[in-house]
Amino acid sequence: MALREIISTGNDLAAIAAVDAGCRFFGGYPITPSSEVMHTISDLLPAVGGTAIQMEDEIAGVAAAIGAGMAGVRTMTATSGPGISLKAENLGLAQMAEVPLVVVDVMRGGPSTGLPTRVSQGDIRQSKNPSHGDYKSITLCAGNLAECYTEVVRAFNLADRFMQPVFVLLDETIGHMHGKAMIPTEEDVKAGIVPRKTFEGPAEEYFPYECAPDQPAVLNPMFKGYRYHFTGLHHDKKGFPTEEIETCRKLIQRLEDKVEMHKDELESYEEFHVEDAEILIVAYGSVSLAAKEAIRHLREAGIKAGLFRPITIWPSPAERMYELGKKIPKVLCVELNIGQYREEVQRAMSRLDIEGLFKVNGRPISPYEIVNKVKEL
Amino acid sequence: MARTLMRFTGVGGQGVLLAGEIFAAAKIKTGGYGLKTATYTSQVRGGPTVVDITLDDDEIYYPYANDGEIDFMLSVAQKSYDLFKDGVTKGGTIVVDPFLVKPSDEDRKNWNIIEIPIITIAKEEVGNVITQSVVALAIANTFMKPLDKETLVTTMLSKVPAKVHDVNKKAYELGEKYANEALAKSAA
Repeated sequence: MALREIISTGNDLAAIAAVDAGCRFFGGYPITPSSEVMHTISDLLPAVGGTAIQMEDEIAGVAAAIGAGMAGVRTMTATSGPGISLKAENLGLAQMAEVPLVVVDVMRGGPSTGLPTRVSQGDIRQSKNPSHGDYKSITLCAGNLAECYTEVVRAFNLADRFMQPVFVLLDETIGHMHGKAMIPTEEDVKAGIVPRKTFEGPAEEYFPYECAPDQPAVLNPMFKGYRYHFTGLHHDKKGFPTEEIETCRKLIQRLEDKVEMHKDELESYEEFHVEDAEILIVAYGSVSLAAKEAIRHLREAGIKAGLFRPITIWPSPAERMYELGKKIPKVLCVELNIGQYREEVQRAMSRLDIEGLFKVNGRPISPYEIVNKVKEL
Repeated sequence: MARTLMRFTGVGGQGVLLAGEIFAAAKIKTGGYGLKTATYTSQVRGGPTVVDITLDDDEIYYPYANDGEIDFMLSVAQKSYDLFKDGVTKGGTIVVDPFLVKPSDEDRKNWNIIEIPIITIAKEEVGNVITQSVVALAIANTFMKPLDKETLVTTMLSKVPAKVHDVNKKAYELGEKYANEALAKSAA
């Protein structure tokens, strides 16, 4: 695949990726450190016939984006943790009604207003379950500038494949850092677009929520003669509220299974010097950059350290982590939170002896802090 | 080339970000790697701001400058100077605007402190205070020489509107002139 060089920031790359991937609607409300996503996409969308709208608040921002998704358009919102808190109810609606949507979350310190301009990875758990109830989130996490582009592109295809919101996590460091990214050409991205499935038969035979137990709803674009109903209530095959026992059970089970039974389509991770590793560092997002630098130093000092970097955070690459956990004696999770992903690593590896190096004061973790921690182990 | 780490510090609103972007872009143009990160506070103006610039021929992973490894710092605000000076290698160079930053005698023992009135040069000699980031760019490149002048100036001009090309060229020349004078003085 041909690559092109672009000098940019993570936030700008996310906006460019969305437009290249066919996004034609953005609804949002600016919030540090994600504001540049909205700023840039507001310049780009009108030029391709799309629409970007700044709504009155975070809630309305995601509501507008979901509305565009219901109408059949590729749609996105961007925010930070406090914004996800506000958007949570509507994200639940999008899960229940099976509306595809890409949510870029550029993480900053929390809870609440937290540290607006500083880096954090505190939204790992939040992106798994922003709303109540049973559903299975899909969360991708960019670990370098190029992935701010490629993961947003992938998120759009996954949103249409699984018919649900897909999170792309950036963090303040990745979102704002400025440098070189080698990314696919616009032509290649366009050629790779897989739009959502549609029903082509007669309107009276169309039941959007009547699908196989492991498949998402088939939601035709609005205003094309196919009528159905959107609701946050448990609903029947036409989308209308119901309390019928089996219909309710099957619906929620299907929301789980459409992702769970197709995890192989989602799995994505990077391994860096893992083959002979005696110490495995698990890190994602900007922290993985410090980890790679640390591994360079550790290897020079004769310490066999390697990195496992989940790119798809949810559902996690649990099987691979399990295999690595069986053969690598020491495992260290490095995160800008207090072990939000360590719990998942413990679960996946079926072991509790996972070391942690965590920081929650808005400052990045430096390679030397990782080197020193590894030497202590 | 070995890795070059530079840090520009000031307060929010002074425009120290642009110089970092220009350095990174110019290094990338030569086929290498360049990264710029900025750290700022939630104050809109007046909060300490730090820009880290990492340039290397090899791929750079971690985008921040590690404290203790920074070769060169430039500071145009006392509070940022105080906060970030300890990141500079002992014996490293710190350029300050003497009207805005007052280094202690102890500091002068630890680092090679150079005084250049960056803001005054931009305001009075160039005639536009906004050009201070280009004056700073020229000073940093004259001291550290990570890039050839032509590449850097061409990149700089590609990032500013055509109508201000002349004034920015002038800012670069003046920054270079003052830096060379300071270099000659410190060598003497």
